[in-house]
Amino acid sequence: MQRTPPPHVPWVSIAAFHSLPTPAPSPQLFPQLPEAGSTCPPTITTMISTQAEDFNRTVRMGFQNMDNLQRQRLLAELLNTCNTEQLVFVSNYISPRLKRDFLKDLPIEISLHILSFIDDPRTLSRASSVSKFWRSLLNDDYTWKNLCARHHYYFHNKRCNSNSNNSSSLLLESSNSNSRCVRFSYKDHFRRRYVVESNWKNGGRTLKTHISPDSGVVTSLQMCENFIVVGMDNKKIHVFGASNGRYVKTLTGHEGGVWALQYFDEILVSGGCDRDVRVWNLITGQCKHVLHGHTSTVRSLKMKNSKIAVSGSRDTTLRIWDIEEGRMLHLLAGHQASVRCIEIYENLIVSGSYDCTARVWDMSTGQCLHVLQGHFSQIYSIAFDGQKIVTGSLDATARVWSAQTGRCLGVLQGHTSLVGQMQLHESTLVTGGSDGAIRIWDLETNQCVHRIAAHDNSVTCLQFDDKRIVSGGNDGHVKLWDVQTGSFIRELTTQGNAVWRLAFNDTKAVILLQRESKTVMEVLDFDECDHLSVECDDTWN
Amino acid sequence: MTTGKIKLTSSEGTEFVIDKDVGEKSILLKNMLEDVGENDMAIPLPNVTGPILTKVIEYCTHHRDDPVITQDDDSKKTSDDIDEWDSEFCKVDQGTLFELILAANYLDIKPLLDLTCKTVANMIKGKSPEEIRKTFNITNDFTPEEEMQVKHENEWCEERTT
Repeated sequence: MQRTPPPHVPWVSIAAFHSLPTPAPSPQLFPQLPEAGSTCPPTITTMISTQAEDFNRTVRMGFQNMDNLQRQRLLAELLNTCNTEQLVFVSNYISPRLKRDFLKDLPIEISLHILSFIDDPRTLSRASSVSKFWRSLLNDDYTWKNLCARHHYYFHNKRCNSNSNNSSSLLLESSNSNSRCVRFSYKDHFRRRYVVESNWKNGGRTLKTHISPDSGVVTSLQMCENFIVVGMDNKKIHVFGASNGRYVKTLTGHEGGVWALQYFDEILVSGGCDRDVRVWNLITGQCKHVLHGHTSTVRSLKMKNSKIAVSGSRDTTLRIWDIEEGRMLHLLAGHQASVRCIEIYENLIVSGSYDCTARVWDMSTGQCLHVLQGHFSQIYSIAFDGQKIVTGSLDATARVWSAQTGRCLGVLQGHTSLVGQMQLHESTLVTGGSDGAIRIWDLETNQCVHRIAAHDNSVTCLQFDDKRIVSGGNDGHVKLWDVQTGSFIRELTTQGNAVWRLAFNDTKAVILLQRESKTVMEVLDFDECDHLSVECDDTWN
Repeated sequence: MTTGKIKLTSSEGTEFVIDKDVGEKSILLKNMLEDVGENDMAIPLPNVTGPILTKVIEYCTHHRDDPVITQDDDSKKTSDDIDEWDSEFCKVDQGTLFELILAANYLDIKPLLDLTCKTVANMIKGKSPEEIRKTFNITNDFTPEEEMQVKHENEWCEERTT
């Protein structure tokens, strides 16, 4: 620009030059140009860049004044002149701008709806590491409540006594028993259950190991809310704490081996070779009643509640007892041989006998309602859910019966030897045989769903819940199985000589087995454990 | 007005004429039509732009014969059950998907809301925090201390070994 104005040059032109719009610097989108006049002296470059800025400004303003269609046309024309490198630049520049933080920008109920489609806890926990907002959103209990439902992490309030002797499903005990008023959160509940589940699959610890000085045979076991009770053929009943597995006391009084027991609240009923039924208070250890009547070994025993119990004996009879008052209510005669197994559902008693029949009895009247005939050999096991009765026999079959009519609804064939173990839950029946096999049956169709070659020798004990089966065998193995697929998960303990009894709940398992000629009790814990604190080598006698 | 047709107006004022049964996939429209009765008036949808409304109509037309699902089972919710057409339908930029979710929610079209939400869920599934950030252009706003704490909180979920 010539700065030597001859007098004839009109001043207005200079004024016009200076009056060009010079707005305050507008926010720069990209790339940062050096600010004119800040550090650089006014050179040709800055002059040009000022001109470029002016041009950009004009274009921008013009663009802003266009309508949508005009804008699109201009953009298309500009993009048409770009080479690949420039197009890549445009693409990289635009693509993050087209992205949306959906969970943050959507209304929260929709964000939670999105999360409700994610059933993988690991994804959810990782998502909570994305940003502060995502973390707060993923702490919302709605998501975890959904996940609890999806993983069937329900709250159990079913009493274990309402089911068969060795099945129990417990409410998870509070992990912080000393801080009782912790606000309930589904996330915590989920986390805890998830940890417990993964510990079952791969983890857990031995909470307690008891080794007896002798080699007494374990005949009966029950684990419920408060106690683990073990009956022995050496006349003794041992009581342990269910939460810590610690030895509490031994109940002595039976003059022969104990072969059947059950407890309900703090009342324990036991029976055995001395023909007596004994009623105990588990808290005080006191024997409240000794009930005489049976003329041979009491082989099976079930409690209706803490007031009524039913015993079955080798003397072929069943007896219904008022265990509060300590007197017999009814004598149930009819079986022609030893009564091997009993189940109770409300007012109905079912009994299985070595006379090859099972019978249905009315508890309040003592009347026999049905005789279930069909097995060709002794009945060893029985299950009953109020509607259906299942009996397991030495004839290698199990039979399904209607409790209402006494009719046989189906014969479950497949085992090649005695069907000595069974548990029924909803429409699922699991049987264990002396052939070492476990079979999972669907009682809707009476079909075998899974056949598992579980043990080299007899299945001596089994229990299942909606997730798993735990089985013990005469081969000394304790095995964990997936109840849905029938697949093997793992062994729960080191092999012994023979497994006597086992029981488990959501977080714990009790195993009684013979190992190196000693009777061993192991309490396994699958709950969260930050540190190992194995206590062992306690003796009990 | 032809019987069985309804008129809708998008936020820009563009008019759409669609079959009544297609429109009634939207519970909002269905209820409005029940309240108003047979009417020649166009229903204004000030929250939905033309391009989004076009997509919504495309969806409702394709699914016009689908049975109405009254009760959904929460325990069976999964995002793995998207069929091919639906999956193609959702192959749009995130801005469009975002607007579709809002439109499905506003118009109360449950299957479309579920579909679009599942699509977003699938964009999250199986990804590391950094991958999620990249997918949605999210800035990590944790301090290093907070990040450590969050990591610690989530340890229980990562691969557990003995």
